[in-house]
This record gives sequence, C-alpha cells and structure tokens, in this order.
Amino acid sequence: MSLIEIQNVSKTFVRSNELENTVLDEVSFSVKKGECFAIIGPNGSGKTTLLRILGLLERPSKGNILYKERNITNLSKKEIVAYRQKFSFVRQKPVVLNASVANNIAYGLKIREMEKSQIISKVKEIIELVGLKNKANTNARSLSGGEMQRVVIAMNFILSPEIYLLDEISANLDPKNVVLLENFITKIKQDKTKTIIISTHNPLEAIKFADRIGVLNEGKLIQIDTPEKIFTYPKDEFTAQFVGYENIFNGFAKFDQKTGLNHVKVDDLIVYTSDQKEGHVKVCIRPESIVIAKNAPDNTSFCNSFKGKIENIRDLGNICHIFIKTKDKKFLSSITKESSINLNLKPESEVYFNFKATDVKCL
Amino acid sequence: MADELLEGIIKAFILIFTFDPEIWDIMFLSIRVSGTATFLASLIGLPLGSYLGLRKFRGKKALTNLLNTFMGFPPVVMGLIIFLLLSRSGPLGELGLLYTTTAMIIAQLFLAIPIVIGTSKAAIESVDPALKETILSLGSKEYQLWWELTKESKKSIIAGVIVAFGQAISEVGAVIIVGGNIRWHTRTFTTAIVLQTRMGEFGMAIALGLVLIIITFILNYTLTHLQTKKD
Repeated sequence: MSLIEIQNVSKTFVRSNELENTVLDEVSFSVKKGECFAIIGPNGSGKTTLLRILGLLERPSKGNILYKERNITNLSKKEIVAYRQKFSFVRQKPVVLNASVANNIAYGLKIREMEKSQIISKVKEIIELVGLKNKANTNARSLSGGEMQRVVIAMNFILSPEIYLLDEISANLDPKNVVLLENFITKIKQDKTKTIIISTHNPLEAIKFADRIGVLNEGKLIQIDTPEKIFTYPKDEFTAQFVGYENIFNGFAKFDQKTGLNHVKVDDLIVYTSDQKEGHVKVCIRPESIVIAKNAPDNTSFCNSFKGKIENIRDLGNICHIFIKTKDKKFLSSITKESSINLNLKPESEVYFNFKATDVKCL
Repeated sequence: MADELLEGIIKAFILIFTFDPEIWDIMFLSIRVSGTATFLASLIGLPLGSYLGLRKFRGKKALTNLLNTFMGFPPVVMGLIIFLLLSRSGPLGELGLLYTTTAMIIAQLFLAIPIVIGTSKAAIESVDPALKETILSLGSKEYQLWWELTKESKKSIIAGVIVAFGQAISEVGAVIIVGGNIRWHTRTFTTAIVLQTRMGEFGMAIALGLVLIIITFILNYTLTHLQTKKD
C-alpha cells in the first residue's frame, strides 16, 4: 500500500489579466512508506508547487491527494492541521521565527502543548545534533544561511514527522553545510519508518538519496524510475539532457548482421550501439563516455571511432570540456585536466574520439 | 504684531512654569479623551485588523478601499454625524451625551478605529508569506498562526496605535462640535487654542500650542525609535 498517492494533480494560477499559467499538468505518482522519492527538474518546472500541494499548503486545481488511501485534497480547517502535522516542509530559503535558536526548535512542540521539561530535554538533544549548541540563545535570524537551514531542519526533525518534504534545501548552501545536511538526510533515511520526498535540480543529489526519481519538466512528470534506469535509459531528450547526455543526435537505427549490433546512421556517421531500438531514434552519448586520442585506435574495444577537429576547450578546473567538430556534427567530450595536458590538446588540432557501443543510448 | 508675539511667548512660559491650573486641566482632559478613544479603538481594531490581514476572502479589496477612505475621514464630518446622533432630537438624544467627554470619546473612537484596523491589517499582511507557511507547516492552528504573526509585526501594530493617538489629540473638528468647548469640562488643547486665538489671548494659545507640540514630539520620537530599534 502506498503512503501517499498523487492522482492527476494539476495546478493553474490565474493572473489578474486572465492569463492562465499551468504549473502542474496531470501529475500522478505514489510513494511508499520508508521510501525516498526525488523530484528532479530545472527551475520553474513546478517542483516547489508540487511539494507545497503535498504539504497541504496549497490546493490543487484538479486531482487528488491520498494519504493511506484517504482523500485529503479538500479537508476542513480542523482536519488539515492534523494532517499537516504528519508532514514537514523545508523550503529552499530557510525562514525562522524572531526568537532564539532554542525557542525556534521548541516551537513545534510548544504548539503541540508538550510538557515543558520534556521540550527542554528534546531541544537539548537535537540542538547538539545539528551542531548549534553554542548558539542556543542567539537570535536565529542573525545566523548564516547554512546555520539557519540547520535550525529549520531541527525544528522539523524534533517533531518526528512521518513525511519529510525537502524543497531544494541545499541549493543555497556552502559545501560544508551541504555535507552536514546530507548527513542529516542519511540519518533520517536510516529510520525506515520515515518517508522523504526531495526536490532538486541537481541529478547527482537525487542519485545519492533517492530510491526512485521522478523527472518533472514544465509541470509534467515525464518519467518515474530508479536512479539507475533514469540515468541509463532516459525516456526522452529532455531527461537525457537533464541527467547529463550532452551529445544527442537524430539518426536511423538498423540491425547489423555482421557485428550483431545496431548501427545508427547519423548523417554521414555510422554509430554502433548495443541498444535494440530500430527506426528513427535519438542517439545519446554522455560527454564522460567520449575518450580522446591523438592517433587512430588500433585493436580496441571502442566500436565507435571518429576523427574531428577541436573547436573549443573549456577549462572547468579538474575537468575540461572539449568541443569537437566533425564534418557537420559537434561532439562534447569531458576529460580530466590531466589527460588534456598529456594529450597537449589545442583548439584546431585534429584528434580521434572514441566511445563504446554500450555507452550509446537510443531513445 | 511682533510685540504681541513676543508678549505671547513670554506669557506662555510664565503660564507653563507657574503650573497654571487651566493648562493642566486642559492637558489632562485632552490626554484622557484621546487616550480612552485610542485604547477602545485598539481593543476593537487590533483583533479585527489582524484577523482581516490573516484571512483571504471575497470582497477583501473593496473592504480595504473602504477602510482606506475611513482612515482619512474628515474629523469635522465625523463631529457632525455624532452631533446629529446625540443631539436632543437625534436618535440617541435621550442619552444626554452631547457636550460631554463621552461624546468626544465616541467621535474620536470612530476616527481612530479605521486607523488601527488599517495599520494592523497592513502589518500582518506585510509579514513574509514564507514565514506564514513555515509556521503553518510546523502544524500550528489558525489562532497560533495569528498570535505568531501578531508578535512578528508588533512594532508596526504599536506604531499604528501611536499614529491613531497622535491624530486624535491634534484633531479639532470633531471635539469642538460634540464637546462644545466648555471651560473645565470639554475644553481640549485644540479647541482652547481656537478660542484663545479668536479672543486675542495669544499667551494662553501659544502655551497650549507648545505643550501640544511637545506631546506630539514625544510620540513621534517614540515612533521613530520603535521603528529603527533592533530586536
């Protein structure tokens, strides 16, 4: 049985000039108890709205939200409070009360009318956990963004909610605080009774935690799958690009008797793939899968080898993005800086670039 | 004219520093009337204003417009309305309240209520919506949210009350009509200044004017202090 189910949820905002803006379009998915579900998508894809609807802070224009098979879409004011208490909503930009760190963390328990001595001992325990013990009496508004986000996490964690809704919570944080937060999410995950729904525009963050990922684009949920499936078998061009396939070309795939592989005709290039799809396809290759060599490879496991001219090199610190031009296609290869130096790559120099048939995905 | 002015100022200082009983009477009466009106206006206006600020409902925009109109309601017209209601032949004439401090308090109360409602509503509305959501998502009930937002905007709310008092104590149109400017009974700063000026008693007028200015200065100083003070 699923813990939460979203059925055909749409959300349309009507602006004052009668223009309608559909933020969510027929979104459906369900999350099981103890699962970590990640919603990934670019900014403006509707992630926050979806989480706000889940947190009962916003009502959908259409569709239903089910909690343990009970419809909780249109609850009365009284009931909605009881259900909201099962959820914790942590937003991207932390907001705290104008009170001390300790009082902020205690707030949720106070409004639940817990005994004072109990609150004090719980706050003490959790304030240590988020590493803010020496700031207990500081006004939470005077903290840095990272510390404030930790206060908000503590404010929610102390309430021991069933479901955590984490909306891009590490988007504005420095690396140190990101690590602290991620440790915290891991901690929540270890408690198998807790369910987590996170939203992020960073696919790598999603892989780290999620049991399943939903890809959201322009309000539509495009694909729901395990991280492995999403990253190896993206369903469409958008997902492919979003999870890091920069090289996407149109082509025509046919089975090749000789090699036992499919070959795809991309203009005048023939690309071998281990994918079985035939007919018109989109060929997707990750930049990391493309290896650059100075000479033509002899006897190689790479089925695909092409010659091209380096058009541009973008230095990103540890890695370099190499843009290679063939007659009428452009490929992007991502290699380490070290190999870029070893190969002495320069714009305009001619190189060979190779990739395996298993690294070519066809959509 | 210059002589009269100088003479008036000298006389004013003499009156103030000799603690002239009439000046004290007028001062206490003014503060009592405007203070009571503001206090009652706050009792009614603060819960109402913050509630309006919290809720969304149909017709809120129209209500806000109406409220804004009443915030700048001409005191003299308010005086006229209350006068007509309380005059002997009026619907509330039997209460015999005309030309009493009660009538003055009523008139100022109706002038102050929209100000208190308007400012406290705006104060609650100006709270970051993200904070509202955070409080809600932590599982608060509506009255708990209301209390938290009121605490959050307490500075602006207090500022609104001070503004209402400041308006009341310096207002002349309403109190002169419903109070009648009766010496020792319903004479306030403003009505006294009007009368003394008419009679050419500039000393008394200037003295009262100075005290009134000092009071409004203290109010505005408190206001500025409140708004710039850090928590």
